[in-house]
Amino acid sequence: MNQPELIVQLQQGDEQAFKKLVDEWQDMVYNTAVGIVQNEDDADDITQDVFIQVYQSVSSFKGESKFSTWLYRIVISKALDHVKKKKRKKRFAFVQSLFGTASEEEIHPEEFNHPGVLMENRERAAELFKAMQQLPDAQRIAFTLHKLEAQKHQDIAAIMNISVTAVESLIARAKGNLRKTLQAYYTKNNN
Amino acid sequence: MENNEHINRLTDEALNSLDGAGRATPKPYLLTRINARMQNEEDSSWDIALKFISRPAVALAGIALIIAVNAMVVSYNYTQKTTTVTDEASYASVEEYSSTATVLNDIENSEP
Repeated sequence: MNQPELIVQLQQGDEQAFKKLVDEWQDMVYNTAVGIVQNEDDADDITQDVFIQVYQSVSSFKGESKFSTWLYRIVISKALDHVKKKKRKKRFAFVQSLFGTASEEEIHPEEFNHPGVLMENRERAAELFKAMQQLPDAQRIAFTLHKLEAQKHQDIAAIMNISVTAVESLIARAKGNLRKTLQAYYTKNNN
Repeated sequence: MENNEHINRLTDEALNSLDGAGRATPKPYLLTRINARMQNEEDSSWDIALKFISRPAVALAGIALIIAVNAMVVSYNYTQKTTTVTDEASYASVEEYSSTATVLNDIENSEP
């Protein structure tokens, strides 16, 4: 079954087509989500949310963009919403901590180890992910898609609905900002 | 100077640490979990509706609305009935007046 056929069957509510969709795209959805939210359980929830939304709104997919582009947009939107909610929760936890009622995990979340990263790079990758949390959303998305999903600049441009030049600029700025943050971190810790 | 080089090396290592990284994969049985969640959401949408309806404020407002509609219907019917009765009475008196007038006219006309 090719992709247009799969989409038509999905639009008709075919359960087998939905199973095939999940099988085919789950790694891409999960990997993108985990790169943005940096938490495996949260990424799992987002992955479920994304497929539920796809099932419910596939009739609105008109084929004007690639299916993968449409799917990436849903994942990114859900993941960013989740990050925003978590930031709000963290601020609230900080206020609670002043009264001693917040848990330690809410104030200082554990460092994130991406399961796909090579063993010898894990420690450095964890520091990179921490630095990525400080990037503005657009830089963070462009950098994540480029590094974790190995997406081409043209594809990132289509997903983010911006020009290729803008993508190149976002990635360059992301790298610059990450370099500054990491240098500051290593200067402070000097290990 | 040496320290700076060391920091730059660590920074580069961190920046390149995602090179060659594989895709992270979700836990097994994702489809089962998605189906279960869709089922739960379907069930919970009914729960939400029932909970909303059974709220005291909503329930009281509903009862008040039903009473108001009933009262309006009753008062409308009552007004209709009164109008009909009044109309019938006025028709009757008009008819009576006209017949009396005809009789009087006849009497006037019949006398020389």
